[in-house]
Amino acid sequence: MSNSTGKYWRFDVFQRVEHALLITSFTVLVITGLPQKFSSQPWAEFMIMAMGGIEVVRIIHRAAAVLLIAETMYHFGVLTYKVFVKRVSLTMLPSMQDAKDGIQALTYNLGVTKGAPRMGRYNFGEKVEYWAVIWGTLVMVITGFALWNPIATTYFLPGQFIPAAKAAHGGEALLAVLSIITWHFYNVHLKQFNRSMFTGYISHHEMAEEHALELEQIQKGQLPPPAHPDGLRRRQRIFVPLAAVMALITIVGLYFFITFEQTAITTVPRQTTDIYVPLTPAPDAPGG
Amino acid sequence: MDQCRSTRVIIIYAYRVLLIAACGIAVGLALFVSRPAAAQVLQPVPPDSACKLCHIDSTETITLTSGETLNAGIDPVQLDDSVHGVHAAAPVFCTDCHRPQQRYQYPHQANPAESLSEFEAEIAGNCQQCHTTEELHNPGHLQAKDNPNVPNCVDCHGGHDVAPAAAFEADPVGTCQTCHQEIADPHIAEVHAEIVSNLGPDQTCQTCHASTPQSEDAKCQTCHSLLNSALTLPSGDTVDLHVNPEDIVNSMHGEQVINGQQYTTLRCTDCHKEQGLWGFPHQPIDAQTRRDLTINMQAVCQDCHTDIFDRNADGIHAQHIVEGNLEAATCEDCHGNHAIQNPDEPRERVSQTCGNCHSTINEQYGGSVHGAALLGEDNPDVPICTDCHGVHNIPDPTTAEFRLSSPYMCGRCHADQELMDKYGISTDVFDTYVADFHGTTVTLFDHQSPHEESNKAVCYDCHGVHNILPASDENSQVIKQNLLVTCQQCHPDANDNFPNSWTSHFKPSIEHNPLVYFVDLFYLIVIPATVGGFLLFIGSDIFRQVRERFQRKSKESHDE
Repeated sequence: MSNSTGKYWRFDVFQRVEHALLITSFTVLVITGLPQKFSSQPWAEFMIMAMGGIEVVRIIHRAAAVLLIAETMYHFGVLTYKVFVKRVSLTMLPSMQDAKDGIQALTYNLGVTKGAPRMGRYNFGEKVEYWAVIWGTLVMVITGFALWNPIATTYFLPGQFIPAAKAAHGGEALLAVLSIITWHFYNVHLKQFNRSMFTGYISHHEMAEEHALELEQIQKGQLPPPAHPDGLRRRQRIFVPLAAVMALITIVGLYFFITFEQTAITTVPRQTTDIYVPLTPAPDAPGG
Repeated sequence: MDQCRSTRVIIIYAYRVLLIAACGIAVGLALFVSRPAAAQVLQPVPPDSACKLCHIDSTETITLTSGETLNAGIDPVQLDDSVHGVHAAAPVFCTDCHRPQQRYQYPHQANPAESLSEFEAEIAGNCQQCHTTEELHNPGHLQAKDNPNVPNCVDCHGGHDVAPAAAFEADPVGTCQTCHQEIADPHIAEVHAEIVSNLGPDQTCQTCHASTPQSEDAKCQTCHSLLNSALTLPSGDTVDLHVNPEDIVNSMHGEQVINGQQYTTLRCTDCHKEQGLWGFPHQPIDAQTRRDLTINMQAVCQDCHTDIFDRNADGIHAQHIVEGNLEAATCEDCHGNHAIQNPDEPRERVSQTCGNCHSTINEQYGGSVHGAALLGEDNPDVPICTDCHGVHNIPDPTTAEFRLSSPYMCGRCHADQELMDKYGISTDVFDTYVADFHGTTVTLFDHQSPHEESNKAVCYDCHGVHNILPASDENSQVIKQNLLVTCQQCHPDANDNFPNSWTSHFKPSIEHNPLVYFVDLFYLIVIPATVGGFLLFIGSDIFRQVRERFQRKSKESHDE
């Protein structure tokens, strides 16, 4: 595992599955969401038509949203487990060092500073992405809930929050898509194709370039030791039932989220009026 | 000497006697010569006394080539009692009628007439000697005077016993009926009697039976303008037979110049063109009911107004008729028949026309912001029925298609900047509607599946249909205090806050929907800033890579 030419274990299969779920839900959300935001554009209309009409598009969008929410819930479950049971170090937390690394990376790129920043398991670029996803998902879920359940929302928020939620939902979506296309695609696909999220392994070269500090820690054996098995088992015994209850609550909550309200009647009822009400005498005009 | 003197005396005496005798003879001759003329003036003798010497009380007959016989005798009393007899203003002699005179001198030549009718025709031809053309009536008869079957003057008025005009006027129908026995037909008699009874002070027999031939149209008009009765159809429905010819002259079918082309007034038979209507008595009408007749008459309009007729066939009214709902409007129901006027002059005529059948809707319209402006101030900008519903190819307004495309209908005026500026109405209404959840869906449905129902609101779901009021009116469905109820039509669970989730057609600004405005503003700044930042960083990274590659290459070449 630790050699200068080989590769390093980076993401386990659960993390990779999470990423796949994220790709799936995000892509579907973008494909079904952007045409709704830009519905007056010909391309958007074409996409909506190709997907079976606006009502179908909305259903697909909501299904993908449920997947994303479920994935997010799962992620927090796993995170809880890692933090409270396995007691791993919080390598994703941003710090001042990340800001310094970012500035150094920029100045290094510009040729002002000699030497690239030496970064840990998650470098500043990855943290920006991760927290952007967290922030974005939070915004999208909250605003999405408001759009999905406007009546419920207006029970505790002023009405104006609904169009505001719509504006935020669209704005945030655009921000997310553009960020993924620029930041994510460049850093892991264009700059060099980082396969670790698909294979689980990262190359030594990438390790040296992106995570020099982590590489050094690995090589020097400075990584924190895994948790003591006894304590781990004890904490697992507490976590598992708690997690089960939380999962149940989450599932029930999700169900409520989906079926929370019947916003509108499905068909506008037809009103029947007598339209033929001739004036008297009847308009059947005489000969003259 | 004495003897000589006495001889001279005798000669002188004899000369005197001779002179006196010559004078006497001359006077006597003169008297004799002048005697007959003086006798005629004093004792007049009729020029046809010679005719009468023979023909009065004659029992002889003349046999014509045809074998017919002609009485040579005449009744002097009858002749004297006739209008040409003693009652005449001026004496009429035999040879005034029996012309030429030469032929009637004695001994008479053989009459060239081969038959009695030829003989009478020749005599009748001489009536014009005294009776002027104006007096020679009955145009139909005159037109066909060479036809032996058509009566001449003598046939009706008689020969020697010619009756005074008063006798005909006493029973004109009876006289005509001698030949025209169809007048005895009860139907014709009834119609004729009604017309005669309706004759006004300016109307006489001549009005119809004029001295000049009448056009077909005039024939129709003279009868129907004088008829007030109604035709009863098999169903018991009646058809008023009265027609005022002025109605047509003053109608759209009167003289018109349309697109530079001169049109003459339509004739009756241009529309009433069935063969059975040309002559009199008319053939019975096919229609069982008045409504059938009205519906059938539409075919008449089709001949000239083909394009309109075809469009109308696609319209809801025509479709209803095809489906058997005979109450649906026909050409005549909206346009009238003889007195057709420009259908939209004044514009409110349209609303009245539609209101004839759709009275409750027209009432609602009259109370709406549009209707009040039309009826009250003849406003040229507000929509009339046909602006929203179309004219002839009126679509069914209850279809999904109509509903989904209705925002464009409202938008035609409400997104027209110039028009709305006159009334201080915002033109953002259409764009803000389309930008909103309802409008987005409806627009997409309209483009992609126009026949599918959508539960999303269109303009008239909130604003009302025919009873649209200004949004500022206290009874408006969309004024603040009424909005919740309006929302609840589709969103039954909506609460007090819910109506505020609608942006009231305002584009977000600091005054209207500030929260939306600031969210938009936030992303307007954050998106370019973030993405821009990313791109700058990426740019710097690409710069580094290019630089490094360049450095490597120069180093490699340096090493070599």
